[in-house]
Amino acid sequence: MTFEPIWNSLIAWYLFLAGLGAGAYITSSFLAWRHPDATAMRKTGHLIAPIAVAIGLVLLMFDAEAGLHNPLRFFYLLTNVGSVMMWGVVFLSVFMVVSVVTVVLDFMKRPVPNWLAIVGVVLALCVGAYTGALLGVCQTFPLWNNALLPVLFVVSAISSGAACVLFAAVFRHADEFNRVGVLKKFHFCLPIIELLLVASLCFITAQTNPAGAASVAAMISGDWAIAFWLGLVVVGLLLPTALEIRLLFFSSKEFEESRPAHYISAFSDLGVMVGGFLLRLIVVMAAVPLTVAMPLL
Amino acid sequence: MTRYGMLINTRECIGCYACRTACQRQNGLEADIDFIRYEEIETGTFPVVGLECVPIQCMHCEDAPCAKVCPTGATYVTDDGIVRVHEERCIGCKYCMAACPYQVRVHNPRTGVVDKCRFCTVEASEDNPMCSCVEACVTGCRIFGDLDDPESDVSRAIVELNAQPIMGDLTKAKIFYVR
Amino acid sequence: MSEHAITRRGFLARSAIGAAAVAGAGYVGFEAWKQAHADEPGELKKAGHSLCNSCSSKCGFTAYTRDGRLATMIGDADHPYCDGTLCARGYGYASIAYSEDRLTDPLKKQGDGTFAAIDWDTAYAEIAEKVQKIIDEDGPQALVMIQDPRPSGSFYTARFMQALGSANTYTHGVACNMSKVSGMTQAIGAGDFTSDVENAKMVMFIGRSYADGIRPASLHAMQKGYQKGAKFVMVDPRYNNSMHFCTEWVPIRPGTDLALILAMAHVLITEGTYDAEYIAANTVGFEDWAARVESCTPEWAEEITGVPAETIERLAHEMWEAAPQSSIEQGWRAATGCAHQNSGETARALCLFNTLLGCWGLEGGAYTPPSQSAGKLTDPKFAAPAKPEAKIIGAAEYPLSASSMGVSTYALSQIPEGAVKGVFFYQSNCVAGYSNPVQLAEFVEAAELSVAIDVQMTETCQACQYVLPDTCYLERTEVPEFVGGKVPVVSLRDQVIEKVHPNTRPVDQIFTELAEACGVGQYFQFTVEELGDAQLQTLGLSLEQLREQGTITFPEKALKYAPKTTWGTADKKVHFTSEACEKAGFPASPGWLEPQVMPGDGQFRLIGGKQTIHTHTQTANIPNLMEITKKYGLERIWMNAQVAEEMGIQDGDEVEVSSETYTGTTRVHVTNRIEPTSIYLPSHYGCSVPEQRTAYQVGLRQMDFVPFHIEPGYGGTMSQETLVTVKKVGA
Repeated sequence: MTFEPIWNSLIAWYLFLAGLGAGAYITSSFLAWRHPDATAMRKTGHLIAPIAVAIGLVLLMFDAEAGLHNPLRFFYLLTNVGSVMMWGVVFLSVFMVVSVVTVVLDFMKRPVPNWLAIVGVVLALCVGAYTGALLGVCQTFPLWNNALLPVLFVVSAISSGAACVLFAAVFRHADEFNRVGVLKKFHFCLPIIELLLVASLCFITAQTNPAGAASVAAMISGDWAIAFWLGLVVVGLLLPTALEIRLLFFSSKEFEESRPAHYISAFSDLGVMVGGFLLRLIVVMAAVPLTVAMPLL
Repeated sequence: MTRYGMLINTRECIGCYACRTACQRQNGLEADIDFIRYEEIETGTFPVVGLECVPIQCMHCEDAPCAKVCPTGATYVTDDGIVRVHEERCIGCKYCMAACPYQVRVHNPRTGVVDKCRFCTVEASEDNPMCSCVEACVTGCRIFGDLDDPESDVSRAIVELNAQPIMGDLTKAKIFYVR
Repeated sequence: MSEHAITRRGFLARSAIGAAAVAGAGYVGFEAWKQAHADEPGELKKAGHSLCNSCSSKCGFTAYTRDGRLATMIGDADHPYCDGTLCARGYGYASIAYSEDRLTDPLKKQGDGTFAAIDWDTAYAEIAEKVQKIIDEDGPQALVMIQDPRPSGSFYTARFMQALGSANTYTHGVACNMSKVSGMTQAIGAGDFTSDVENAKMVMFIGRSYADGIRPASLHAMQKGYQKGAKFVMVDPRYNNSMHFCTEWVPIRPGTDLALILAMAHVLITEGTYDAEYIAANTVGFEDWAARVESCTPEWAEEITGVPAETIERLAHEMWEAAPQSSIEQGWRAATGCAHQNSGETARALCLFNTLLGCWGLEGGAYTPPSQSAGKLTDPKFAAPAKPEAKIIGAAEYPLSASSMGVSTYALSQIPEGAVKGVFFYQSNCVAGYSNPVQLAEFVEAAELSVAIDVQMTETCQACQYVLPDTCYLERTEVPEFVGGKVPVVSLRDQVIEKVHPNTRPVDQIFTELAEACGVGQYFQFTVEELGDAQLQTLGLSLEQLREQGTITFPEKALKYAPKTTWGTADKKVHFTSEACEKAGFPASPGWLEPQVMPGDGQFRLIGGKQTIHTHTQTANIPNLMEITKKYGLERIWMNAQVAEEMGIQDGDEVEVSSETYTGTTRVHVTNRIEPTSIYLPSHYGCSVPEQRTAYQVGLRQMDFVPFHIEPGYGGTMSQETLVTVKKVGA
C-alpha cells in the first residue's frame, strides 16, 4: 500500500504558529519578571501572541475543508470532551482571549495583573504541549506516539517565540535588546536542549518498530534528509548556538551592542524560527504508520 | 445487547475486489472512495509460494480511537456497536485518519468529509436487497451478525475457526479474521 | 520507501495548490456540494432483470434504481453463470451508462482524421450507398462483420450480413477460445465441455484461472470441490489467484502444455492404466496415438516444460487413481485458446487424455452441458434470409477453424488484397485486442467502408470512417439468451434504466434501420420484443414471463450423469485421429508441436491474462475499476524474483520492454509467483485513445508486442508467440 501523509504543510504552519504565539507570550512574561523595564519588547511579545495564533487557526480551518465549506460545523468543536483536539480548541480559545485582553491592557497603558500573566503563561504552556499531544495520541505513528514529542514542542515553541520577540526587537527596540541579557542566555540554552530532544526522539523511535525506523529513516536519510540536516539541525539549531556562543561569551560589550552584532543575532533568531517550522513539518510529514511498514501485523 | 461484528475468512478470499466495487455501488461512492483496502501477502520463494489477501476496512472498534479523538463528535459509536459518521458534523480535520491504527478512514476530496465503512450490511433483508461486501462476496468469505448472540452465524464461526482481530485486542476490533 | 516518498512530495506540492484553490473557491464548491446533497434519496425500486455486459459470461442480475439511476445490483440465483453473485467487473462496469466518455452522436471521419457529428439519416444513407457500391462491384462477400457476441448483437449482425448475402460474420474467437473450440471439435465433435469440478476427486487446470477470469458459478464449484477435499492442480506459468483453492502449483514454461499432456498420456498408456473398455466402444484411432506418444516420456517432457519428470509421472498416476472422477479442465484463452502455434493441437490432446480417463458424462468427470433453444418461428415476418452459398472468408485457408467464429484477422488482412472492401464492427475492439494493433488499424483504414458501433471511442472506432453510438446494455431490451448448464435456462437482458444520451440507439434499431437503408428491410419487420416473445412462445413461455423472472430454467433438460457414448462427430465417436487435421498438415493424432518461438538467453516469453477487475481492454476506462489498477499498481509487468535479482531489477523499477514490434516502458512487479522464462503483462492496458480519459496511456498493451500472425490450420491469434527483452530504464 502506498501512504500519503494525512496532514500537510498547512498543519505544520498551524502547529508552528500556535507554538510561536504561546512562546512569545511566555517570553513577554519572562521579560516582565526579569527585565521589567523592557516594556516595548514585552508589548511586542504580547502582540505577536494573538496574531500568530490567529493566523495558525485560520490555516487550520483551511485544512479542515468540510468545516470550511460549512463554517457552522465548527460550533460542534466543543462536544467531545475526550478529544485532545477539543482541549486544544479550549486552550487556544481561552489563550486567545487572555492574550487579546493583555494586548488591550498594554494598549490602554494599564499594567497587566500578575494573575492574568500567570494564567496566560499556563495556557501558553498548554497550547505548546497540546501541539505535541495532538500528534502524540495517534497510536499508529511511533514518531508521534511518545512522551518526548510534547516536551520537544514546548521547548521549540518557547524558543521560536523568544526568537520572534528578539528578532522584532533588533529592528524596533535596539536599546532594549541590549539590556535583556538574561533572556538571551535562556534563549541560547533552548536550541541545545532541543538538539538533545531531537536526537533522543530519533534514537528511541528508530528502535521501537519498523514503522518507527522507517519514519526516522525518512527524516535522516530519506526524503526529508536535506530539510532535517541542513534546515533543522544546521540552520535551526547549530548555527544559532554557534552564533550566540560567539556573541554572548566571546565578544566585547562594545561589539555585542553594535549594529553588526544585532544583525548576527537577528540572523540567528531567524534560523531558530526556520528550524521551529521545519521541525513540525518534518515530524508531520515523515511519520509512517505501523500499517504501512508492517502490513501483516 | 446487540453488538454487530464481522468475520472475514482470508483463506477463502481470492482478492477479487468485488467487495470494493459492490460497496461503491451500494453506497453510491465515487470511484476513488474505497472503504476496503487490500493487503496482498506473498510468501516463499519460487516455486514454493504462498499467497494471502487480507481485506481491511473499519473494524468498528469498541475502543474506537477515531471516535475518541473526533473533536466534533462526528464520529460516534451507536448502541449496537457500529461506528458511524455524522457527515453534517464533520469538519474534515482528519484527526480520525491519524488516530486510526488500521488506516481505513477515507477523506473525500470533494466534500472534505472523512468517511468509512458503515457496516451498511446491517440493513440488508429480503425487502431491502443490498450488494454490500457481505452479500456480494463471490466466495462468501464474510459473515456478519451479532457478536453478543452466541448462536449467531458469526459468533459460531468465530469460535469454530478461531478467528482473531487483526491487531489483537488493541482497540477491541469487531472484525475477526481467519488467517 | 521510495514509493511513499514520491507520493509525499506530490502531495506536498498539491496541497499548496489545493490550499490556494480552496481559499479562492471554497464557498462555490460548497454550494455545488450542498445541492448534490439537497435531495433526500428516493425509494429503491426494482427495475427489472438484465444481463451483465462486463464480460462474455453475461451473468443475470436484478437491477434496482433510485431516482431512475442504477443503484443496487443483485446476481440472479437461477442464472447458471453467476449463481447468485456477480464479480467486481459487474458492479463497476455498470457505471458505463453514466460515463463522461460515452459516444453520444453518430460520427464521420473528416479529411484531417478527426471525427464530426452527423445525423443518423445521413450516416445510414452514406453507409448504404457504399454497401451498395461494394456489392455491385465485388459482391456481398467483400463485406465483413466482426462482433463480440451479445444476445441482440449475435442475432442482428448475422441476419444483417445474411440479408446482404455475405457469409462473413465473425466473432472475437481468434483472440479468445477458437483454437480450443476447433481442436476439441476435431476430437469430440463439440467445442466445449465442463469439468464437474464440484464433484471431482481431481482436476488439472491448464492456464485457466476461475478466480481471475471470473465466472462466479465456476468459482463456486471450485470452492465447493476444494472444500470437499478434491485435488486441484494448477498448471500455469503464474501462481494465479485460483491457487487459493488449489492443492498444487505446477509452474510450466508457457507454450509447452502439449508436451505435458502427451507425457502423461505416455505414462497411462505404457502402464496400461486407461479406460480400455470405453476406448474400445467409443473411439477410433487409439493405436495411432498410443504409438505417437510412445516417445513422449516424462524425461523428454521435463526438458521442454521445465516440470520434473517425477512430477509428471506422479500427476498421471494421481489422475488415473482419481478416474473417472478426474479430468483436465478445458482451458479457455491461454494454453488451448489462442496463445500458441500449438493451441489447437493442445486442445485436441487434452480431450484425448480425458478419454483415457473414461470420465465423460460421469459425476466428477467431465460433461457437455445440456442446453435449450427456441423452436422454429412460424410467423412469416420472422422468415430468415437465405443462407449465403459462399463460405466464410478464411475457412479455406484455416480449414480447422470453427466456422461459427471465423478467422477475422485473416479477413481483415484481405482488405489490402482487395478481396474485402467493407467492414463493420459491433461492440468489438478488434484493433486493440485481436492481433497487432498497428497492422490491424492499417487494414481497417484501407477499407472502402468501415463502420464501428460501440458505446465509447475505441482503437477500432478510431480506425473506422463511421462510428455509431450504441445504447449501453442497461438501456435496452435484447433478444432472449439461451444458456447451457447443469440446468439450462433462458435469460433476458431487459431495459432497466432510461436512455442517458437521447441520440444513442440500441443495436436492434441500428441494424433494422441500416437494413432498411440498404434495401433489405423486409427481413427486419419486427421489434426485438416481438422477436423475443415469438421465440419464447415456441417453448410455451412469453416475454412478459421472462421479464418477470429474468431467468427461466428447463429442469426437464437438466444434466443426467451417464457415460457419454454419442459424440458430435460424423460417426458419433471420439477421434484420436482426424483426417481434417492430417489434411491441414498436422499428424493424424496429436503429437508434439513446438511453439513458434522459444526464449533464448536474456529473452522472455510475453504472456497475457485477465485480472479480476478487467475484461480485455473493454473495462479499462471505467473509473471504479481503473482506480483499483492505479492504487495497487496492477498495470505492472511481473518478473520472477530470482531473475530480477540477477538483472539488478527491484520491485517498482521502471523497465523497458522490447519485442520485434514494439518497445515501451512500465513498472515491474517482482514476484515469486511467475516462472523464470515468462514476463506477464496484464492484457487490459495501454489504451491509445485520448477520448478514453481514464484509460488513456495507463500501462502497456500486450498486443503491441505481438506480430501479426495466425496459427496455422486453426486460425488463432497466437497472442503469446512473442519474445521480449527487459532492461532497467537508465541502466
